[in-house]
Amino acid sequence: MLYAIIASGLATGAIYALIGITYNVMFSASRVMSFTAGQLGMLGGVFGAWFIGRLGIPVLPGTLLTLGACALVGVVTEIVAVRPVLKSLDQHLYVLSTLAFALMLQQFVAIEWSTEPQPFPRLVPFGDALVNQRFWLPVLAALVVIVVLEIMYRRTLIGRAFLAIAEDSFAARALGLPERRLRMLSFAIAGVIGGLAGFAGGGLLLAFFANGPMLSFYGFVPVALGGIGNNRGAIIGGLALGLFQQAASYMVSGLFVSVATFAVFIIMLLVAPQGLFGAPAGRRV
Amino acid sequence: MPLKRRALLAASLGAAVPVVGRAAPEPIRVGWVTALTGASSAPGIGFDRGVHFAVDEINAAGGVHGRPFEVVTRDTQGDPTKAVNASVELISRQKVVAIWGPVNSGEALATTPLVARSRMPSIHPCVIDSLIDPKKYPNAFRLAPANVQWEAAVRHYCLDIVKAKKIAIVGDTTGYGTTATRDSVADFQKAGANVVYHDLIEATKTDVTSDVLRMQDSGAEVVVPWSVTTGLLARLLNVRGARGWNVPFVGHPALGSGEVKKLLEKPAYWEKVYLIGYRSCSYDANGKLPARTQAFVDKLRGKVELVDTSLWWISAAYDAMRLVVEAIEKTGSTEHEAIIGYWNTLKAYPGVYGNYTFTPQEHNGYPTDDVVMSVANSFRDGAYALAPGYT
Repeated sequence: MLYAIIASGLATGAIYALIGITYNVMFSASRVMSFTAGQLGMLGGVFGAWFIGRLGIPVLPGTLLTLGACALVGVVTEIVAVRPVLKSLDQHLYVLSTLAFALMLQQFVAIEWSTEPQPFPRLVPFGDALVNQRFWLPVLAALVVIVVLEIMYRRTLIGRAFLAIAEDSFAARALGLPERRLRMLSFAIAGVIGGLAGFAGGGLLLAFFANGPMLSFYGFVPVALGGIGNNRGAIIGGLALGLFQQAASYMVSGLFVSVATFAVFIIMLLVAPQGLFGAPAGRRV
Repeated sequence: MPLKRRALLAASLGAAVPVVGRAAPEPIRVGWVTALTGASSAPGIGFDRGVHFAVDEINAAGGVHGRPFEVVTRDTQGDPTKAVNASVELISRQKVVAIWGPVNSGEALATTPLVARSRMPSIHPCVIDSLIDPKKYPNAFRLAPANVQWEAAVRHYCLDIVKAKKIAIVGDTTGYGTTATRDSVADFQKAGANVVYHDLIEATKTDVTSDVLRMQDSGAEVVVPWSVTTGLLARLLNVRGARGWNVPFVGHPALGSGEVKKLLEKPAYWEKVYLIGYRSCSYDANGKLPARTQAFVDKLRGKVELVDTSLWWISAAYDAMRLVVEAIEKTGSTEHEAIIGYWNTLKAYPGVYGNYTFTPQEHNGYPTDDVVMSVANSFRDGAYALAPGYT
């Protein structure tokens, strides 16, 4: 019983964590909290079910196609919903533009795909019950993503360029860094990570057009818990959220899970507004 | 030869005179309000097949008192506002004699008070109990079971046939799920059953492991789910199957939906799942339909597709059309009061879907005893097999 709750909690938590990282990657390059993060997760499930389940493309090329398609959606998000409002960030117009684009994506999928949840194909031919792919695949995906991101940000030139943009885009541009191209690349990476959340978690989420808002909602919690821009914090926050949800659902009632989740979330924000792993932003004067 | 203007005029007159002499009789129009497109259109499409089959049959037999019988269809796309607008238009502009539909409760909740104000004879198959109230809505009749009849059938199956002592009842957080779960818990308890677990689950919850664990820990011997959300139902069945928990699921007709089947990880997870069905549209132990239904299916063969819809939708719509025609033929009138008055006298009227009984005090016409449980994975040509335990 305990094993079932932990397996289930870690799996859902890993999905939330990946969406949280998607928020972070987009935010780092643009200072925009894009509400398309959850929709990228939804699209990962839908593209995966379409390419592999319906079109019968083998798993590996199907996975690459899915992630490629999500990267493309990430780039389009940057061009359509983010770039036009960057000059007036203080007016928070990105809330409207990214939300509108997210709704457009959702409605398009509802019309072209289905309004009913569709099955997600089995990606690995082994495992049953609690060693089912739906439990371990999202956790594995989250681990791979955090390791790759850590290596990229710490060991590669392009990763350091991302950090420079995130730290101070004006200074980075003054140093000759191609800010626009780096921002587009970071949105493509966010697309891949968001898509991977829905793809690896397809066994739990199914290919359903309405998953987006739920993922955007719960995916934001790890960001706030872990501190905006802190990917390791997002992973820990996401896994903690998943475990908390499943434990609360088992011990109290499924009905009160959302209430309990957001009660804890609000308390945490009151206690540590910068997140559990974030530091108050300092500014050199 | 060039056609002269005078010759043309003469020819036109010649053609026109006989037409005036043989003026087509005014058709009798019945309104049909349903979702034929959109997310909730599957029942509407099924009912529509029955409507058109009945109308064609009636007109092929000479119509109603020599007048053609015409159905005026309005697609609501599942939107209550569109259903209201369609009903107003059918009553005020199309001058229909009766309205069949809507076929989903959300739309019917919006249209019923409005249609009642014009005393328009109305017949529908929606399950929400409050839609039928002969005092408030003396014009409204239901030819399918009310939710309370569904619950009674589920309760009877769980307590008297499965002989379960401990019951788990679960619903989704939609308006329907919440109401049905609350009523079902109260009715089971009133019947002396031990409801060991009841709860609501968010319809979009991605993993229901913890919920199934709680049901299992409660010692439930049967699970009664009240939800139309196919994703939630499939998730519950998948967790039940993965945990090897072998209790029956008994409940809402959505349990037998093809959408649930698609989402199951293994076909075996659909075993011991029983959904609400109807005796008239169920195969017996020998795989045969009741004689009256079989005769109807024979008439449908080659004309109406059955493989992708429910037989009860087709037969109920067929019966609705026959009930309108029967009222006009027997009373010789298309007046609202005459049709309503006639329906109020029906006693075990033999339709295909059921034997309907209406009185001025009771407008729920479907017999509760004909609501039965069906085997979810037995769907064939629009019908299911009777669940084990029925004779």
